[in-house]
Amino acid sequence: MKKILGLVLTLFVIIILLGVLIRKDDNNSGYTFDTADIKPNPDAVAINKPYPCPKTKTIDGVDYLQSQLPVGQFGGEYVTSTIGEGPKTFNPFTSTDATSSTMADVMYDGLFTSNPMTGEVIPKLAKGVKSNKNGTKYIITLRKGIKWSDGKPITADDVMFTWNDIIFAGLGNTSIRDELVIAGELPKIRKLDNYTVEFTIKRPFAPFLRALSAPIAPKHYFAKDRDWQKNFDRFLATNTNPKDIVTSGAFRLKEYIPAQRVVFEKNPNYYMINKNGDRLPYINKIIYLIVGDINNQILKFEAGEIDDISLRGGDVARYKAKEAHSDYVIYNLGADNGTMFVAINLNNRKNKDTGKYFVPQYKQRWFGDRNFRKAIDYALDRQGMVQNIANGMATPLFTAESPSGIFYNKKITGHKRDIKTALAYLHKSGFRLKNGKLYDKYGNRVEIDLSTNAGNTEREALGVMIKQDLADIGIKVNFKPIEFNSLVNKITNSYNWDMIILGLTGSPLEPHNGKNVWSSAGPLHLFNQRSAADIKAGHIYPLPWEKRIDTLFEKGALCTNFNERKKYYDEYQQIIYNEAPIVYLYSPIRIYAIRRKIKNIYPSTLSGLTYNIEELYIDKEFKK
Amino acid sequence: MKIWKFIFKRILQTIPLLIIVSFISFFIIRLSPVDPLAELRLNPSISQETLQREKTRLGLDKPIIVQYGLWASSFVRGDLGVTSSGEKVSTKLAERIPNTLVLTLIVIFMTWIVGVPLGILGAVYNKTNLDRILTVLSSVGMAIPSFFFAILLLIFAVKTGWFPVGGLTSFDFNDLSFGGKILDLTKHLVLPVTVLFTISLAGLQRQMRANMLDVLDSDYIKFARAKGLSEGKIIFKHALRNAINPMITLLGFEFAGLLSGAALTEYVFQYPGLGRLILEAVMKSDINLVMASLMIGSIMLVAGNLLADILLILTDPRVRGE
Repeated sequence: MKKILGLVLTLFVIIILLGVLIRKDDNNSGYTFDTADIKPNPDAVAINKPYPCPKTKTIDGVDYLQSQLPVGQFGGEYVTSTIGEGPKTFNPFTSTDATSSTMADVMYDGLFTSNPMTGEVIPKLAKGVKSNKNGTKYIITLRKGIKWSDGKPITADDVMFTWNDIIFAGLGNTSIRDELVIAGELPKIRKLDNYTVEFTIKRPFAPFLRALSAPIAPKHYFAKDRDWQKNFDRFLATNTNPKDIVTSGAFRLKEYIPAQRVVFEKNPNYYMINKNGDRLPYINKIIYLIVGDINNQILKFEAGEIDDISLRGGDVARYKAKEAHSDYVIYNLGADNGTMFVAINLNNRKNKDTGKYFVPQYKQRWFGDRNFRKAIDYALDRQGMVQNIANGMATPLFTAESPSGIFYNKKITGHKRDIKTALAYLHKSGFRLKNGKLYDKYGNRVEIDLSTNAGNTEREALGVMIKQDLADIGIKVNFKPIEFNSLVNKITNSYNWDMIILGLTGSPLEPHNGKNVWSSAGPLHLFNQRSAADIKAGHIYPLPWEKRIDTLFEKGALCTNFNERKKYYDEYQQIIYNEAPIVYLYSPIRIYAIRRKIKNIYPSTLSGLTYNIEELYIDKEFKK
Repeated sequence: MKIWKFIFKRILQTIPLLIIVSFISFFIIRLSPVDPLAELRLNPSISQETLQREKTRLGLDKPIIVQYGLWASSFVRGDLGVTSSGEKVSTKLAERIPNTLVLTLIVIFMTWIVGVPLGILGAVYNKTNLDRILTVLSSVGMAIPSFFFAILLLIFAVKTGWFPVGGLTSFDFNDLSFGGKILDLTKHLVLPVTVLFTISLAGLQRQMRANMLDVLDSDYIKFARAKGLSEGKIIFKHALRNAINPMITLLGFEFAGLLSGAALTEYVFQYPGLGRLILEAVMKSDINLVMASLMIGSIMLVAGNLLADILLILTDPRVRGE
């Protein structure tokens, strides 16, 4: 009797253990290396099939935007997800985090948008634009007869209000305003009639028209209280009653349930129609599930709860193998506009409140030393990172522009991992290696804190690899991932960090958008951030090469000739490579899985999969 | 009358306890090198006035002991401050507490409905196969870590599609009929409840069995048997009443323990409860939120113990006599 019981028990334990092992493997392929052999062909799915842009169509005096795609079926829901805590605000002008901005984009359209295939500026809320010869005057005509979600007309007053009273007045997040200070002056805006406005800028400015893609706010809603300016930062907070929110985009807010989801419903007054003249969007509801981490997102996708997912390198092989028998398609959108990098904190200023340095002085001497930074650059094994962490789904990167960008400097070919060169650089600055430990010339042990946002397994794995790579040149790295918001806080506010692994998304079309990062007074000049007060007071004191980059960006913006611009931007990339304030690692390749039942998808390297959310529809007859 | 006096006394005793708990937590958090206003400073949706107001309210320019006094006095007045994202802490907590309570209460209810009888069964049929099977099952339940079990169940949900993967409600929850809402909630609750239930059931069953065995072994039960009383009468009238007393103390602990003990499970299941909120708050050092949660946790613990003591007085004449 006892023997049988014992046997049963043992079997039970074995079964559980086996089950555990199998499951774990299945679930935890984040950065296992064995899948590298069965790498799918990244070009398996043809993308960039030409997307016919919507055109203006006037019916009964209303200037609709007409979709040129096949007519779809109305109804259904599109369920997607967002990682993190959910939106902090629904106000498109105050949002600073990605989730809030995404939510705002769903609800508010701008005057212009980009052609998802070529990147050129195309009208959205605007009907058209005319400019004078030297590019200092833009006359923008609006669509007649289109309405906000509450039925009030969208007119030149709303555009004037948005640009004059919100953006140029410096309310909320001022990054658009700061970008448009051209030759020390903001553009002037004038209302010509109810449907025409005129922008005047002092000097030609290459990225101007694209900047007009900023959302337009409904004046009658935003300015309904007398002291709306005072309360602007709290306006459209997450506890706003969804019924009150007036939008121009394809959707309006239906409900927000903290830690669970954000639900948008169709805007009945949206100005886009299909070929039959029916109002878009096709989809009734778009739902963002708020999930805690990437693993949970994957589980939700596999359980069929969400319709799309951005795949990690390690998961691609598994998904690809199952694709043929599944209800999803995998799209490879090619090299990302994104860049993965390690930023080094060059900050040598004091905290005015406490009188202490943001970065301890002995560390300032390391980070301020070009040789030290180059040593890190040479000690990192980018090829290994691409292979092991991105599973080959990335390209090593040595400068700020992603290889997909049209301004990418092809002359910077980079280098392999080279410990000797790294040590030579260190030696030049008096660092000494003793028993495998690195000391600076004052005898301080070189020990660096490295951080990234917790929950991002790719960056966490990168952190571990960087720690190992730098251990080879004797640097001790303390790697500690922290919550994303705390990380952002460290970068933009408390400046008390050494090295941070981050990714930023640039624009493949407009390097000038990187000005916030590269201008020495930029709000995201993370490797040497000046505080807002310092910038206001003009206490910038740029390093010589920072100054050169400032000049290059200024020249690049004023110039409209592509080849001439390219020269400026090539030089800036070269400077970044030489100085290595930010050590670039790789540019990922984006791979998405999306349900087959979702139609009218025109994947684009520049804009992704769901940029035309109003034209997407759900095929109700679709069966696996 | 006596019982009211007792309750009053206990509540008085609670006050120094809460003070000590808040004192220790406050100092530990404040002494860690984290600027509690760091996130507020960064946050563009927080105006300078708010920042200043918060700074004065928290008294960050004053010594820690004064800071503590200020925090405590605003806490006593019911003002919990704002979180790093500018929302009121009280609103945040109010959003989550009901969700956690739903989970907690269901689990406590089920554990007790099932655990106590199973414990009695184990004791009565001591050393039979039934007892052995129960022992094996409860050992498994005690041994398996909650987060791991939760992950296994999540994978189960993914593979079978029988249950939703985490969360509390489906996206179309508000459009459902009343019955549909109940069904939807049930579907979402099954897995987290299973995890918490399995784990606390095991402990409870073992405890009940041990108590019951002790009592069944005592002289008066032997006497009752010798007297020829029916087995049912012996167990349910004489043995059970004496065996249940220690369980009531346990109930108090469980009441408090489930609130904090559910945190890992909540996180894995993406359950929008208090545990996940606190975990996220701790990760980004959201001091007001963390302090408020800690205080609620302590109050729950104290209240649970008080509840258990009161129940003991009601059920046990020996305690009442003292």
